[in-house]
Amino acid sequence: MSVKEFFKGNVFKCIIALLCVLLVSGIFLTIMNSLLYVTDEERFERAINKIYGKSVKTESVTVADYNSNATINEAYKIKDDGNYLVKSTGKGGFENGTVTCWVVVEVKGGKVSGIGKVVIDSNKNQSYISKISQNFLNSFENNPAKDFYFTTSDGYLTSGASMSSNAICNAVNGAVDFINAKLGNLAEDIYADFEYVKNIITKETSHEYNAETKEVIFHIKTNGFGNAIQFTIDVTVGENGIISDYDIIKNGSTSGYESKMLASILDGSLFIGKDIEGIKGILQNGADLGTIGSLNGSDLITGATQSNYLCLNAAAFAAANYNTIISMEQGGQENE
Amino acid sequence: MGTFIAIVLSAVLTNNFITVKTYGICPFLGVSKKTSSAAGMGIAVTLVMLLATLVTYPIYTYVMVPLQIEFLEIIFFIFIIASLVQMLEKIIQKVSPSLYGAMGIYLPLITTNCAVLGVTELLIGDMSAILGEGVAMNIGWAALYALFAGLGFTLVMIIMSGMREKLNCYKTPKALAGFPIAMVTACFICMAFAVFGYISL
Amino acid sequence: MNKYKKITLDGLIFQNPTFMLVLGTCPTLGLISSAFSAMGMGLTVLVVLTLSNIIISALRKVIPNSVRIPCYIVIIATLVTFMRMFLEKFLPDLYDSLGGFLALIVVNCIILGRAEAYASKNGVVESAVDGIANGLGFTIALTIMGIICEFLGKGSLFGAQIMDFQIGMLAKPAGAFLVYGICIAVFVYIIDNFERARRVKANKLARENLLKEEA
Repeated sequence: MSVKEFFKGNVFKCIIALLCVLLVSGIFLTIMNSLLYVTDEERFERAINKIYGKSVKTESVTVADYNSNATINEAYKIKDDGNYLVKSTGKGGFENGTVTCWVVVEVKGGKVSGIGKVVIDSNKNQSYISKISQNFLNSFENNPAKDFYFTTSDGYLTSGASMSSNAICNAVNGAVDFINAKLGNLAEDIYADFEYVKNIITKETSHEYNAETKEVIFHIKTNGFGNAIQFTIDVTVGENGIISDYDIIKNGSTSGYESKMLASILDGSLFIGKDIEGIKGILQNGADLGTIGSLNGSDLITGATQSNYLCLNAAAFAAANYNTIISMEQGGQENE
Repeated sequence: MGTFIAIVLSAVLTNNFITVKTYGICPFLGVSKKTSSAAGMGIAVTLVMLLATLVTYPIYTYVMVPLQIEFLEIIFFIFIIASLVQMLEKIIQKVSPSLYGAMGIYLPLITTNCAVLGVTELLIGDMSAILGEGVAMNIGWAALYALFAGLGFTLVMIIMSGMREKLNCYKTPKALAGFPIAMVTACFICMAFAVFGYISL
Repeated sequence: MNKYKKITLDGLIFQNPTFMLVLGTCPTLGLISSAFSAMGMGLTVLVVLTLSNIIISALRKVIPNSVRIPCYIVIIATLVTFMRMFLEKFLPDLYDSLGGFLALIVVNCIILGRAEAYASKNGVVESAVDGIANGLGFTIALTIMGIICEFLGKGSLFGAQIMDFQIGMLAKPAGAFLVYGICIAVFVYIIDNFERARRVKANKLARENLLKEEA
C-alpha cells in the first residue's frame, strides 16, 4: 500500500474522525474547566457554610490552647454576626481517644452568650460514637451549663457512650475557653500553679479556709479518666497537711465498676491521717503519683484502677497544696 | 503490616465491591448462572482491574496532576481500560488459546464494567480511612487494593453462582423468574456480608 | 405524531430501561437508599442521555463505522465530565450525594445502548425524544424505588424525617436488591396482564370484523 493510498483509505478517515472527536472534546472540556473550576477557597467556604447552616463570610483567627483537655485546631470569626466557629479536639475516651468537633460559639457584648451548634467532625478510638444522638448535641445549645462549662456529671451525657460524651464536653469547653481568652475574659485560675493538678479540673475546684482551726476543705472535681468520668470529692485537710476527712460526693465510676473500687477509698480511710508523704507511701518505692503506670503492683489495681487513681490524685492534690493555701489565705488577710 | 491487613480485609470483606459498593452488578447478575462462567468472569475482571490500576494510577499521579489536566480523567481512564482490554484479548489469543477459550468471551464485556472504572477512580481519591494515619498512597498499595477488590468480586460471583445453580432445581413463580429471584438471592448474600461491617480496622 | 407516542411509551413503560431491560443497575442499587440522590442520578442520566443521543445522531453520517464505539465513548465521557463540573459548581449537595457513581455514568449501559441501538440509526429529533423518554423512564423508576427504600429504611422522605419506625436493612445494599427485585416482578406482572388484555381485545375486534365481513 503506497502512501497515497493510505491517505485515501478508510483507516486514515477513521483516525482523523477519532482525533477530531477527541480534539473537540478536549477543547470543550478545557474551556468548561476554566469556567466552572471550583477554587479551594470556594470549597472551604462551602464546608464552613454546611457546618454553620447558612451562607456566611469568615475570617481566620490564630489559635492557641487554654485548656489542657482540648486542642484548638482551627478557628474562624463569622463576619456577619460576630460569632466564632472553632474546630476543637477534646480528649477523653478509650485508649487516649479523642473527638473533634466544630463548635459555634455565640458572642454578645464581648462575652460568650451561648453555644450555637456542635457538629462532630471526626473521632479516634470511639467505639460507641454512633450512640451520640443529635439530641445530645442539641443540649449544648438548648440548655447551656453555668458559664458554659459542660461536664458529664452535670448531665451532658449519653448513656452507653460516656467516654465519647466526656470528650465532646472537653472539646466544647476548650472552644469556650479559647474564645473567652480571645475576648480577654478568661477567669484567673488560682490553682493553675499547684501541685498534682493534672487530673483536677481547677476551674471547678474550690476551697474553704477556717482560720480558727486552720482547716482547709477542698471541693475537688477531677477529670474523667479512661473508663471513669468526673468525681466530686470533698477533702478536709488539717494542720501539718494531714487529711482529716475524705468524702466522695459524686462517684464517677461507670457501669458497675464502683463496686470494684477499693473499700478503703470509698470510705476515705485509706487517706485519713496521712499527709502528702503518707500518700506517696501508698505507692511502693515512692513511685511518681503523676502517672497511672506507677500503680503497677500496688493494691490500687482492683478492676476499677482508673477510679482508684483519680481518688488518689484528689487526695494528693489536697494534701500537697495545704501549705500553699495557708500562705495564700494568710497573705490575703495581711493585705487587708 | 497493619496497612496490608487493613487493605486486604477492606477490599475483600468490609467494602466488598458487589455487596457494599454495588459496583459491577451487570456481570454479577448476567454471568452468574453457572459457577464455571462466574469464576472465569471474576478472574478476568480481577486481571483487568489490576492491570488498569497499574497503568492509570501512575499516569494520573505523574502526568495528569503535574499538567493540571485532572478533569480529563474520565476520558483518559475509559480509553486506557478499553485499549487494555483489546490488547489483553489479542495477547491471550496468541499466547494461550485454551485460556482464551475459558476467559476470552468475557473480556469484551469488561470495558463497560463499572467495577474496573470504579476501582481506578476510587484509588485516585481519598483512601486515608483505609490506609491509616501517616501512610501515603503509592502504586504498591493501589495495586494491592485493586487485586484484592477483584478477588472479593470473584468470591461473591462464585457464591452467587452456587446459589443460583441450586435455585435452578426448584420451580420459581413466573413473575419472579429471572432477574427478580436473582436480586432476592443477592439480597441474602448482602445481608450475610453486612456482618463483616463490624470488623473495625 | 404516532411515532413519537410510540417512542415515548416504549422508553417509559414497555422498554423501560430499569424494570424491563434491567440496565444501569450499579447506580440504581447504590443510590436508591435516598430518594434525593436516586432522583438526582436519574435527572443527571436524563441530561447526559438526551445530549449524547442528539450529538451522536447528528454525527452519525460523519463518523466511520469501524471507530464508532470509541467515538461514542469519548462523546459520553465528555458529557459526563461536563455534568460533573456543572454539578460540583452549582449543585454541590447533589454532587456529594452521588459520589463515585457520577463518573460511572460513562459505563452506564443505558447510554451506550441507546446510542448504538437508536441514535446511530435515527434522526436528531427522534433521538432527542428517545433520550428524554428513556431518561424519564429511568428517573421515575429510581425515584419510586428511592421513595420506598428511604421511607421504610430511614423513616424519611427526601431528607425530611416523617416517622420513627425504620427497617435499617432497606437503606443498605441488601434492601436495595430486595426492593429492586420485587419492583421488577410487580412491574413485569402488571405489564404482562395489560398486554394480554390488549391482545384479547384486539383478537375479539378482529374476529367481529371477520364475522361482519362474512355476513
